Amino acid sequence: MASEYVFTSESVTAGHPDKLCDQISDALVGHILWQDPPARVVAECAVSTGILFVSLKAATTASIDIPRLAREVILEAGYDRGSFNGRTCTVMTNQLEEPEAARSGARDRESALSELVAQENVTLFGFACTQTPVLLPLPIWLANRLAQRLDLVCREHRDELAPDGKVQVGIVYRDHQPSRIHSLTLVASQRQADLPLARLRQTIIEEVVKPAFEHETLVPDSETRLQINPEGPVVEGGPALHAGLTGRKTGADTYGGYARQSSAALSGKDPTRIDRTGAYAARHAAKNVVAAGLASRCEVQLSYSIGFRDPVSVRVETFGTGALSDDELSERVARAFDFSVGGIIRRFDLAGLAARSRGRLYQRLAAHGHFGRPELALPWEATDGVETLLETVTYR
Amino acid sequence: MAELSALLEEVFAGGGTARTLLVALTSLPCRTIPGHVFRAALDQYGLRSTFDTILQDREVIEALDAVHLPASGETRAVTLRLIRPLTLHQRIGVGRMRLHVNRELLLLIDDRDEVTLRRGDIRMSWMRMNEEVLVRLRRARDRSGAPVDMLAVSAGHVISQTYPLDVITLPPRVPRERVTVEAPPPPPPRLAPPAPVMASAAAPAAVLPAPAVSAPPAAVISVVHRSPGRLRLRIAQLYRNEVEKARLERALRGRAGIVSVVASSLTGTLLLRFAAPLTHQEVERTVERILSGEDAGEGGRRQQAHHPWHIFDIEQTAALLGTSPDRGLSEAGALERLSQYGPNLLPQAVSRSPLQIMLEQFASLPVALLGVSAVVSIVTGGLVDGVVILGVVALNAGIGFTTEYWAEQTIAGLNRGLEPHAVVVRDDQEREVAGETLVPGDLIILRRGMAVPADARLILADHLSVDESALTGESVPVNKMVAPLDERNAPLGSRTNMVYRGTVVTGGSGRALVVATGVATEIGEIQRLLGETEQPETPLQRQLRTLSGQLVAGSLALCGVVFGIGLVRNQGFLQMFKTAIALAVAAVPEGLPTVATTTLAIGLRRLEQQGVLVRRLVAVETLGAVEFLCLDKTGTITRNEMTLVMVVTGERRYDHGAGGFSIEGQALPPGGSPDLEALLRLTALCSEVRLEPAADGPRLLGTPTETALVRAALEQGIDVEALRARYPLLRTRLRSEGRGFMDTLHQDGNGYLLAVKGSPDQVLSLCDRLSEAGTVRPLTEEDRERILVDNERMAGQALRVLGVAYLPDDGRPEERRDLIWVGLAGIADPPRPEIPALVEQLRAAGVRTIMITGDQSATATAIARQIGLGHKGHLESLDAAQLETLPADVLRSLAERVDIFSRVSPAHKLYIVQALQRAGHVVAMTGDGINDGPALRAADIGIAMGVSGSEVAQEVADMIVRDDNLATIVGAIEQGRTISSDIKKAVHFILASNTSEIAITLLATAVGTGEPLSPLQLLWINLVTDVFPELALGLEPPECDVLRQPPRDPHAAMFNRRDVRRIGMESAMLTGVALGAYGWGLARYGMGPRTSTLTFTTLTTSQLLYAISCRSEKRWLFDRKPSAANPYMTFAVGAGLGLQGAATLLPGLRQVLGTTPLGPSDWLLVLALATGPYLASELLKAIERPCRVDRRDADSHGQ
Repeated sequence: MASEYVFTSESVTAGHPDKLCDQISDALVGHILWQDPPARVVAECAVSTGILFVSLKAATTASIDIPRLAREVILEAGYDRGSFNGRTCTVMTNQLEEPEAARSGARDRESALSELVAQENVTLFGFACTQTPVLLPLPIWLANRLAQRLDLVCREHRDELAPDGKVQVGIVYRDHQPSRIHSLTLVASQRQADLPLARLRQTIIEEVVKPAFEHETLVPDSETRLQINPEGPVVEGGPALHAGLTGRKTGADTYGGYARQSSAALSGKDPTRIDRTGAYAARHAAKNVVAAGLASRCEVQLSYSIGFRDPVSVRVETFGTGALSDDELSERVARAFDFSVGGIIRRFDLAGLAARSRGRLYQRLAAHGHFGRPELALPWEATDGVETLLETVTYR
Repeated sequence: MAELSALLEEVFAGGGTARTLLVALTSLPCRTIPGHVFRAALDQYGLRSTFDTILQDREVIEALDAVHLPASGETRAVTLRLIRPLTLHQRIGVGRMRLHVNRELLLLIDDRDEVTLRRGDIRMSWMRMNEEVLVRLRRARDRSGAPVDMLAVSAGHVISQTYPLDVITLPPRVPRERVTVEAPPPPPPRLAPPAPVMASAAAPAAVLPAPAVSAPPAAVISVVHRSPGRLRLRIAQLYRNEVEKARLERALRGRAGIVSVVASSLTGTLLLRFAAPLTHQEVERTVERILSGEDAGEGGRRQQAHHPWHIFDIEQTAALLGTSPDRGLSEAGALERLSQYGPNLLPQAVSRSPLQIMLEQFASLPVALLGVSAVVSIVTGGLVDGVVILGVVALNAGIGFTTEYWAEQTIAGLNRGLEPHAVVVRDDQEREVAGETLVPGDLIILRRGMAVPADARLILADHLSVDESALTGESVPVNKMVAPLDERNAPLGSRTNMVYRGTVVTGGSGRALVVATGVATEIGEIQRLLGETEQPETPLQRQLRTLSGQLVAGSLALCGVVFGIGLVRNQGFLQMFKTAIALAVAAVPEGLPTVATTTLAIGLRRLEQQGVLVRRLVAVETLGAVEFLCLDKTGTITRNEMTLVMVVTGERRYDHGAGGFSIEGQALPPGGSPDLEALLRLTALCSEVRLEPAADGPRLLGTPTETALVRAALEQGIDVEALRARYPLLRTRLRSEGRGFMDTLHQDGNGYLLAVKGSPDQVLSLCDRLSEAGTVRPLTEEDRERILVDNERMAGQALRVLGVAYLPDDGRPEERRDLIWVGLAGIADPPRPEIPALVEQLRAAGVRTIMITGDQSATATAIARQIGLGHKGHLESLDAAQLETLPADVLRSLAERVDIFSRVSPAHKLYIVQALQRAGHVVAMTGDGINDGPALRAADIGIAMGVSGSEVAQEVADMIVRDDNLATIVGAIEQGRTISSDIKKAVHFILASNTSEIAITLLATAVGTGEPLSPLQLLWINLVTDVFPELALGLEPPECDVLRQPPRDPHAAMFNRRDVRRIGMESAMLTGVALGAYGWGLARYGMGPRTSTLTFTTLTTSQLLYAISCRSEKRWLFDRKPSAANPYMTFAVGAGLGLQGAATLLPGLRQVLGTTPLGPSDWLLVLALATGPYLASELLKAIERPCRVDRRDADSHGQ
């Protein structure tokens, strides 16, 4: 009997308070890394009605204007009017300058990287599957695309629509393969209470949903439930309505709950934090396994212990879809990729990424998912390890 | 406004209340009803009393400016907007209280049609309490079940009242004809009973309300007397009318020329003192105008319209002002407006009169009690006693008066600011006029270096930049333009198309239409805020008041007991009465004010020698309790002077400070770097700075940024004049919108030289080559990236960064893209060199330093890092353009943590000070600008700068730092702490010694063993042997660790439990030895003068020796670090012993005091007994020492 079930994933727009915090955290990290690539940074934010709290712990030579950057992010997200807006909100900053010694003692960049060890005990998961061309699960891919599209539309209709929004996509799976779209739920916030729902609905269908599905193979059908603002209109939304915190949307950042994920936040951390970079490396490995055709679903698990350069465990799980045994695959993955802390930073050139984008890349990463972003050309989305993985097969 | 009338008829036809009226108002289609229309409509039906009941005072409805109603669909609410915030005085069951009414009252209407006043819109203050007044109009049912409307008013624990609202039913036939009148109806007479029905209705709201032209109602005024500069008027409507009194006083106070205003509602008279050129007639006329309501008092606030001018375009502005943007006003029109709106003057702060200062000296409970005792003594025949007591009072008042009067005089001597001149266009003619003659609508011309004479909307701006630091604290001049803005609530600093009075034009030129003059200007508004801010009571005042009260009550009770016991024991009425009075005088700490005043006055003088001028005596002591010092960045932490601080050429970074340029700490000799020199030469060429020869080197005239660059070039030995002669200037293109750089073209021999400086990324985008170490090479991508990172980093350090480039041999005017990059120059307003050490010292002394600035947070953070703010590496900053939107409790809890407040406007400084005070802290605040006035006054200690500070700041401050050197604040804090600890020592001594005197008399009277001390002996002890040690204790030099202790807790009582126990033990010792001597004397000599003398001498001697022990609370006899010498104490003890000796030896004194000479054995006994309390006290200190860990010490580490 064919098993059939619905799986839903949720994503939010850049104007959602939690995402706003993620973006501010990452904008700070990005700007510091741009000026000072070996910097150590932890940036956390919380936002409520009229106040943004930023806590920045950094060991760096860089100097940044935290409130200005934060205000820029808030304005970019579309909060340029109303009770919460980038120009007038209050920004409370707590800055802790750590001594330079907290960075690596070695002056030479290369040796500094190879000396890096994990500073957290953490188990990380990377996942890839064949449901979409970017090898992400379909629900989160769609949710993120819809959220991204919704964001764009909110900006185009900035007089009517406010930047806060939420998207949920439900996919019917038959035999673990997406078979049809069960439901789409979109929550968009509006500037004024008097915007007619019909008009909102039309805008969203015409300008968000339709374009988002333009290049998709699976599109909504007549049975698909499309809900727009099912709980009634959301006026203004954003931090004026609900509070936000950095790192509370790890689901939307990763796999939408379809695969396991570490509870650690991705945003607001510099590359030496293994709970961020390890998640990228795990995704990279999993994606390459699937891209190499070695499995159609693959989860890579990396476990790090404080004080070790390399993960104490590298484990691959293919849910029975692997061309080779999971043990075999685990060994190959471990051999093919350098999972040491410094190795990952070197492979992905994480500090250089910040510099090349003038500090902007991290901020962009913080909204609409850290994985499967073709427009950003992320190094951990590259399938550059396929050859190595297959070579290992051939030569054995 | 026919709808309004119809609505009123509908609501009240069947009986309505204020609640139903408010609910009904929300159904009106209109959004705003002008106040006079509303009043007229209410009066038409005699309904004004409905509002009087809910708002408690008829002045509220009188002051109503407009009623705002939200658009349908929004929350139902009625906003009452008043012409100004009100302070009302009300008599309630428990005394008089003040109600502070906000300018906007928001009445929210809920689903049940009940009306609630927004919290905080009305606050009350009574005694030391300050509470929000909660007003709610509720629906209820009476006993019979019929619906009634109730008014519930509550405020903290002070008021809680509920009473029914009047139900008003209109008579069935109301005259329905409505008359439309052109002008608003004249305000009704003040004392009219709840308004009569008036047959007048609405007039359309004029945009710029014309001043009332109606004839004043017959106010009954008569002149009581006239003398030069004085006028006493009797005003009928003032009699028994507190509202009128407050209104008159407020309206007259602060008016140009008026020196003092005293209105009395008891007698119905008004006393005015004024200065020439005002005449009696003019003053009388002004009073009449105020009484008739024609003149709102505040110099035209009511008359001048308050529009968001910055969002209007020029045509709208000109139309609203009734003026022409080309021709200006006509001379005649201007003259007429001048008489309507009054002169463009700001009120001057009033200083206290000598009489006031004198009277304040007597306003303390102990002094009053002493006065009474003196009178009673004289009446009952004790002339000597009475005179002695009066002597004490006079001494006390004399010292207090002299010091305070002298301080007041010094302040008055500070030079005053001058009213600015203005260039104005009238009748199409340009002319220079005195600034005070400007009126709204005038077209003024602004040129570089001019002070802006009034608030004005720009209509032409040619590279106009204005230094608004006096108003906003932003030290970088603001570039002004003409285009209207979108944001209605833009902060002052962002209103780029407005110029404000009190600011200075630093560059360019412009034309503007005056929109507000005098008190209606933003600065006037700030001064008005000043008038509303109250000065808090200082910790010393509070503690001494409490203590005096307690002591007075306690000693009176004890005297009563002694008197009663004496009567019971039948010791003679008069005798006991005299003893009781003497005892009262002995017990009352009359020395307390004297000691406090003297100590404070000496401290004041010491501070003055250090360059700190103290305006209020008690402020000296408050300094010791200061926990937070709020420093203004611009002008206080920094010099408010832009300076070149960093240059980057190639990969080299040069720091620039007082000692010239340096690389990584190594000084760079002149000519040490060709790249640097090239950059400086280019910026000296590409610059509008003019050099004026002066005695001490050339004076630089230009924008702060350019001046900073040229000054650095001069310091580096570059002859700018010669350089400019060598490369004659051909043309200049200034930076403009969209083109963020400036370039100048120079003749270079036969060729040309193009010098460019401006926004680094724009200049860099024009370059394709790079000059490094004298050679020019192509600019690579890495170079660009490095330069941009350098730029970002410098910007992050709050520098204004300029990129510099050049191109030789270029004569073509068009934009080129092949310039040669030279480097980056970073300019900032650096902190004064003494500040970091100051912050460190303050931290050691447990004082948190907070920086408040109108600048961007990057600037603030960079400066904060340089001066070492923050704690344990943490630096917390609050960047808030709209601090007022933060809930008060949130701000209170945040304020304690924050090190930097950035982008803060004047009113916000006040919020910060108040938030810290609400959290229970003693706050000092420095400031130099006009904008700092309200916060300076509200702070426990307001500190103004003597050189750079504005007059307003100096007048409201508690202390003035003469030379702007903040380092003296540390000395002041040390002085303050010493003073409070000295006062505590003196009070400690007074308490212990006075208690012993009472105890001896009480015990002896109770036991019935006669009277050990005669009344005059008691007074002798009190005056001779107590006062000198007290004063000496008050002059103790600072103990060496005073600046390493946390500030004392201002809320703690002066003495804690342990102190009280110690005072008790010590006074028991004093009593013990005196009673010992008494007992010994009784046993040996029986009751008589010899026994009395023995007791008397033992007591005085033991007290004198005990005083030495009181010099320190911690250091004891065998301490390794002895106290610094106090010659006063040596003198006091020596003189005391000498006088006591004289009292037993000199026949005259012996007779008065009833003493006899003592024998050698008596003296031996006296000495043996007298050293007892001293040694015991020293021993107590030694025992208590190890456990003297201050609680607050632990607390301050936890912060």
